[in-house]
Amino acid sequence: MKSDFKTSAWIDALIENLAPDHLEEEIKGDLYELFQKDLGEKGFKAANRNYVINGLGFLAKSFFWRRSNTANSNSFIMIRNYFKMARRTLLAYKGTTAINILGLVVGIASALVILTFIRFETSFDTFHSNAGKIYRVVRVSGKDMNEFRAGISYPVPVAMKNEISSLENIVSMEYFGGANVDVLDASGQTVAMYREEAGFVLLQPEFFKVFDFMDTDFKWISGSPEMALVDPMSVVLTKTMAQKYFGDQDPLGRIIQFRKKYDFKVTGVVNDFPQNTDFPFTIMMSYSSLEVMAGEERLNNWFSVNDTHNTYVILRPGTTKEEMENEIAKVHAAHTPKELHESRHYLLQEFKDVHYDARFRNFSGRTISRETVMALGIVAMFLLLAGSINYINLSTAQSALRSKEIGLRKVMGSNRKNLVLQFLTETFIVVSIATAIGMVISEILLLNLQSLLKFRHVQYNFTDPFVLLSLLGIVIVVTLFSGFYPSLTISRFNPLTSLKNKFSTEMLGGMSLRKVLVVVQFTITQMLVVGTFIVVGQMRLFQNVNMGFNKEAIITARVPNSEVDRIEQLRGQLQAQPFVSSLSFSYTLPSGVVRPRSYMDIGRPEANAMEDYKVFEYEGIDPNYLDLFQIKLLAGRNLMMSDSIGNILINSTLAKALELGSPEVAVGKELKMGDGKRVTVVGIVDDFYSNSLKEGVDNIVMKIAPNDYYTMSIKLTPNREGELMQEKIQAIEKIWTASFPDFVFTYQFFDDNIKAFYEQESRYAKLFQLFSVVFLIIGCLGLYGLITFLVNRKGKEVAIRKVLGANIGNILALLSKEYIQLIVLSFVLATPVAYYVVNSWLNNFANRIDLQWWLFATPGLIVLVIALLVVTTKSLKAANANPVDKLKYE
Amino acid sequence: MPPRIYLGELEELILLMVALLNKEAYGVSITEELKKQAGREITISATHAALHRLEEKGFVKSRMGGASQERGGRRKRLFSITSYGRHALEELHDTRNVIWNLITKVSPS
Repeated sequence: MKSDFKTSAWIDALIENLAPDHLEEEIKGDLYELFQKDLGEKGFKAANRNYVINGLGFLAKSFFWRRSNTANSNSFIMIRNYFKMARRTLLAYKGTTAINILGLVVGIASALVILTFIRFETSFDTFHSNAGKIYRVVRVSGKDMNEFRAGISYPVPVAMKNEISSLENIVSMEYFGGANVDVLDASGQTVAMYREEAGFVLLQPEFFKVFDFMDTDFKWISGSPEMALVDPMSVVLTKTMAQKYFGDQDPLGRIIQFRKKYDFKVTGVVNDFPQNTDFPFTIMMSYSSLEVMAGEERLNNWFSVNDTHNTYVILRPGTTKEEMENEIAKVHAAHTPKELHESRHYLLQEFKDVHYDARFRNFSGRTISRETVMALGIVAMFLLLAGSINYINLSTAQSALRSKEIGLRKVMGSNRKNLVLQFLTETFIVVSIATAIGMVISEILLLNLQSLLKFRHVQYNFTDPFVLLSLLGIVIVVTLFSGFYPSLTISRFNPLTSLKNKFSTEMLGGMSLRKVLVVVQFTITQMLVVGTFIVVGQMRLFQNVNMGFNKEAIITARVPNSEVDRIEQLRGQLQAQPFVSSLSFSYTLPSGVVRPRSYMDIGRPEANAMEDYKVFEYEGIDPNYLDLFQIKLLAGRNLMMSDSIGNILINSTLAKALELGSPEVAVGKELKMGDGKRVTVVGIVDDFYSNSLKEGVDNIVMKIAPNDYYTMSIKLTPNREGELMQEKIQAIEKIWTASFPDFVFTYQFFDDNIKAFYEQESRYAKLFQLFSVVFLIIGCLGLYGLITFLVNRKGKEVAIRKVLGANIGNILALLSKEYIQLIVLSFVLATPVAYYVVNSWLNNFANRIDLQWWLFATPGLIVLVIALLVVTTKSLKAANANPVDKLKYE
Repeated sequence: MPPRIYLGELEELILLMVALLNKEAYGVSITEELKKQAGREITISATHAALHRLEEKGFVKSRMGGASQERGGRRKRLFSITSYGRHALEELHDTRNVIWNLITKVSPS
């Protein structure tokens, strides 16, 4: 009756499998005896529980089993033996080893580069101890709540601070970016002039409480975080700036002049901010200086917003984001009319999203979407995968050559576990070597890719747990992944068949897996090559399409002071230069990244409600403007200096938007500005892209605006022989500096300014090119290895076929047919996926290339041809070999 | 001086049980005897581990035998103490006695 109760089968199975044979019986006997005893005394449940516990106890003692197993009592000797054998095998098959290592090196090096880059991007501003609690106040507005900005009006943070009690801390700042700086001596004389391109900020002292830069090198060298930024017109410099302006002198108490107008006293010096912060500040002026610089009227204006004026808050514990957003809405509503607070909403953005959400921008201008980070991570994984696949393919293929070794080992008493361990040791050595080389290469790559990836790399730090862990992780994961399958297949060989040399690859189940892996590898490669083609094609479209204006050989410079006399004098002097073909002064350039924009409303004379008006971009120009940029006048006349601001040019998009009819009809029509002033259309210009080609064409209105000339554009004559661009620029600089002696001359080529629109896309294009080459290299290495092996195996078959009259073509077909099929299959698999991905990417752009069939077929063909080249070079050798050499062996 | 004898506390107890049970010493009986005599409850696997260590060190020897119904027809490994084992136990015992005598002479003050 008792024996009707069964013991737990899984425990029995575990013990049967794991316990050494000579101990199995007694263990099971003892366990069973105890079980029977418990059964009588405590019942089945308790008995079975004890059985499991006791059984597991034995498993925990498996260490002692191994020790008592006299067959391999000294595991250290075995491990040493594994390493010795691994070294010998790797040296015996030098070619395969080299291909394996090379493939892994390429994969590991690229993966390390990506990992380092991802790490840099994800480290932004994570070092503030409050990071998880900080929110940025952002502005979402527009009819469909589709305008996302980070700027908030000046009075908003003040009112929030006074009227909301659940705020733990609030800090506002305004980022100016670049500006002119003059260094003054004790008597107030300018001793040096500088033009800085970034780093100026107005900052409240609370900043350093909210953002403490814990765990970085940041610290105060002189001055105090509490006091230095309290008084108006005080400034704190970073160490680098202090050194640049004052050398070794003590900067405290010295004066620097900002924008030729405002004198700031240096009250503190801090260490440079770390690289990975979205607060790229170098010159920090006290926020209270706004009272002097902006004036009361602007500071109390709830309507106007400056997108670089940002506010960060920390909520009191227990306050949720939604509660705070409601509080802010209440404050906003209490101070503003209905139209404003119904169309504009101040919301909160989590601080940790600032680096990832491109919609709101940030001061560093550097954002990366989480999707991009993930996509890069996936690419890194694919790279490791591709390297591992090579290894798997080659070692399973090669195992046929080693079947005799395996057979003999088995006959001599090696068990499966030993063989698996031996192969894993081999893999481990290969992977470790590859990782070491890969690291050196990735270091070199990183240093060279800094400008492409826009980041600073300062050597691997080997005490850094992240670096150590990722290296260890790579070694372990790649070893197990690429070593596991081959070692299992190889150790499964039947010693008898392998010793009889009956063994051939066709018997290996690995053949089909190998095919799958080759297909996977080439599918990824195909997708990347297609991606490269599309991105490069789109870039070419951006660069070559007619933007509606001329951008060649135009130099642009700022005009710091638009006094009419001075500008006319400058115009006269420059036009006298032989290399100046045309010259224009204007408010902005027709297009480009570095360009102030100004928007206003315009409508038909009968316009009444808000929706009757159209928003347009204002461009103040002079009569040369259209001619210099070759913007086409469709109807009417160009503007003259004598035209009042009541006469305007509009572009045809705006003419259409206001339903003015054909250009000819539109000329002479009267329109109404947002402020009620009447204007007359004297001409219609053809559309041009004032934005990047990613967006559509804006409404544009042009006026003569002599007081708004901030930009100077010079069209140069074509370079004649012996002329140097540098000399022309120096000549321009000399004339410019004579007109504006207080300012530093900076210039830019107009086409560079436009290229900057596509900076991100051109980075993508380069990255795609890089990665597709890397994948292609790994894939081809693998193919080369496989075909080498195949050629060796089929040497005799080829020889016999030749003897029987096969020609070279037949033999090439025989050897390469299979791989060509696989690559064609991978093409079929890759195309739909690639189509989907690139199509959704291209949908981001208003102007996009059409997805034509050849954009997919050409990359496919290229990959096929390269693969074919690899396969045929090797097979050709076999096909040309003298059959006698192969056959006389028997 | 004879070589020192290394015996863990648990090993010593189990060796004593083997000597006590004579001929009938195997995993289950030793575990139970240990509980009865010394109030020590240990798992069966710990007993096995200790027995194998003792055998490796040469204090006990073993043979297979005594299949029975309650063991599902499986034999048990029966342990018996070797002369070296007995010698070791005596040695330990003597050492302790000597030390005990010293303690009685010195204390209590």
